[in-house]
Amino acid sequence: MAKKNAIRFGDYIQAMAVDTQKVPFQELMPEPLFDRHGNEHPQRVPKMKLGGGDVVKVLQPYLSTRFIDQAKAVVPLALYLAIFQYAILQTPVLDASIISGGLFAVMIGLMMFMEGLKLGLMPFGEVIGNTLPRKLPLAGVLFIAFLLGIGVTFAEPAIGALQVAGSLIDPVKAPYLFTLLNDRSGATVLLVGLGVGLAAVLGTVRFLRGWSLKPLIFMALTPTLILSAIAFNDPELILIVGLAWDCGAVTTGPVTVPLVLALGVGVASAAGKGADSSLSGFGIVTLASIFPVLGVLCLSFFTKYTVSSETIIAAAAEIKSMAELAASQPEWYEVSPWTEVILGVRAIIPLVIFLAIVLFVVLREKMKNAFITYYGIILAVVGMCIFNVGLTYGLAKLGDQSGGLIAGAFASIDTISASPLYSVTVGVSIAALFAWVLGLGSTLAEPALNALGLTVQNLTNGAFKKSMLMGAVAFGVATGIMLGVLKLIYDFHIMYILIPGYTLALILTLLSTEEFVNVGWDSAGVTTGPVTVPLVLAMGLGFGNALGSTEGFGILASASIGPIVAVLTLGLYVQFKVKREERRLERELSQEGEIA
Amino acid sequence: MKRSFTTLTEATLITAVVQNGFGEVITDALLEVGIQGSTIHAAMGVGIRERLGALGVAVDAEREVVTVMVSSDEVDRIFERIFLAAKLDIPGMGFMYATPLLQAATYVPPSILSKYAG
Repeated sequence: MAKKNAIRFGDYIQAMAVDTQKVPFQELMPEPLFDRHGNEHPQRVPKMKLGGGDVVKVLQPYLSTRFIDQAKAVVPLALYLAIFQYAILQTPVLDASIISGGLFAVMIGLMMFMEGLKLGLMPFGEVIGNTLPRKLPLAGVLFIAFLLGIGVTFAEPAIGALQVAGSLIDPVKAPYLFTLLNDRSGATVLLVGLGVGLAAVLGTVRFLRGWSLKPLIFMALTPTLILSAIAFNDPELILIVGLAWDCGAVTTGPVTVPLVLALGVGVASAAGKGADSSLSGFGIVTLASIFPVLGVLCLSFFTKYTVSSETIIAAAAEIKSMAELAASQPEWYEVSPWTEVILGVRAIIPLVIFLAIVLFVVLREKMKNAFITYYGIILAVVGMCIFNVGLTYGLAKLGDQSGGLIAGAFASIDTISASPLYSVTVGVSIAALFAWVLGLGSTLAEPALNALGLTVQNLTNGAFKKSMLMGAVAFGVATGIMLGVLKLIYDFHIMYILIPGYTLALILTLLSTEEFVNVGWDSAGVTTGPVTVPLVLAMGLGFGNALGSTEGFGILASASIGPIVAVLTLGLYVQFKVKREERRLERELSQEGEIA
Repeated sequence: MKRSFTTLTEATLITAVVQNGFGEVITDALLEVGIQGSTIHAAMGVGIRERLGALGVAVDAEREVVTVMVSSDEVDRIFERIFLAAKLDIPGMGFMYATPLLQAATYVPPSILSKYAG
């Protein structure tokens, strides 16, 4: 027992080490206001006056954590490309200062866009997701989900990469590809959006009714593969197939997935099925990467039967001459930074207006924290514009350049005088290995994959470990990108990857259980972030141009099939292991029973 | 035969309400000096954005509440440690307090139990 006049040891230490000071909490409270009758008078929260140092202290962690998030995705990739180019291809990065400026713009733009998305657009999505199903019948909800699917596609940052890619295509060699990405690019994106909208509707219904994903996959893939095969046999459309399958990979980015999911989860919880909402996201992502392919293929058939290739080539020449004319005396909105700004505004504003109409007109809800929401929307628009500028000057330029230079490892190209630098075998292996490591690194750095890994680990009670899933997906993407690069080198058609790949995936789907089917097919969607997609797309096109092949699409498409096959295979293995373990346990139990 | 039950005395609960992501910073700082058993709860804060005005956008409304039970003798040292780890001297970062506990109970190792037995 402590003696009466003893000092606590803790008090002693404290008194020796720290100069403590006591301030009554009263000082932090606002003075209460009363009116004549003694009732408390309402008053506003007093504003805090901050000095310059404190402002910096408040802003510094806010900005730095968000910037570092984006830098983690961009800097290692860019360094990898630059070092590879310097060490193996013995060529310094051209326009290094412009590219670094562009990459910096990408980081700043993405940082602002992601924060704006979180503060400005997500609250809309959440409020709509929570209240819409209660106020409208199911058909109305699905209709809005459908429109939302279209809107989010236009707002997806990576979709701008398609337009950038389109400008690199030669209209004479591939007239239909040219028209789909240039004068008809609006229609292409719209069809992609229709696909995403349809996926949002089907995904929501599937979740409400508890349908299995397997028949949906078969129903969605069969017509897509058949149409691809028809296009493959058509000499004018054969080049479209790669683009169409690449579009599927572009759609499932940082805008689509959370907004569409918010609605899906809202519908599900309104129907009283919120309990297993962890699985609700699965399926929508898968369908959202298959339907756009179908949409783009349909558009290409439609274009083929309504417009002849001669008209397109003539129109392309006209566009070109007009562009040259415009280049001599450009309107202000045709000069480089402004085109990107207009693209950025055009991407976000329609989505915001659509969300606002649903919220204020259909639902008659009020927005809480309006100031923060406006700030978020402005941030998203500004971020998108900066990102678009960075996309043109940083990611697309860098990808195009290294793609073009890698060809110099085994073929003779103009930009490297000493090319081919290595013998064909060594050079091709270098290019393949380069692509493989690129795929592996960029996939492991993707934050969405980490989240998916955790979900899967929880769903399977630890049988399917997070690291295993991440490894499988990264391995799949890496192998897919490598196959895509080999496709460009040996100039074989993307169908030779897609047909065996998807056949294998379908067979594995039949054998696997429902959970692994969900996870496996969705893993393809999470890997294609806003940094990887433009870089890989531009790299493929630059590579294709340097080799003289007509189209450089298809790398993303083969990168999406890789993880599906890898995850499904691993899933079957895990299932097999779990079953064997169970059987062993049963045997031991029965033996024990016999002994007893 | 009487049942035996042990309660712990002279315990203080420290609660820190901090910005999202700082919960782990605190628990790490505590683990560094061998203090375990902290709990992190997710919470939403209200009001700081109004007080900071336009700067409020830099403050995450999502909060984490860390609670940890410590001996009353050690409370000042640990209180200060948490304050510094969570950077609570910056506006909008959060606040913390310590409350004395009447009694607490958990597993007590037999070696300590025997010291107080009888």
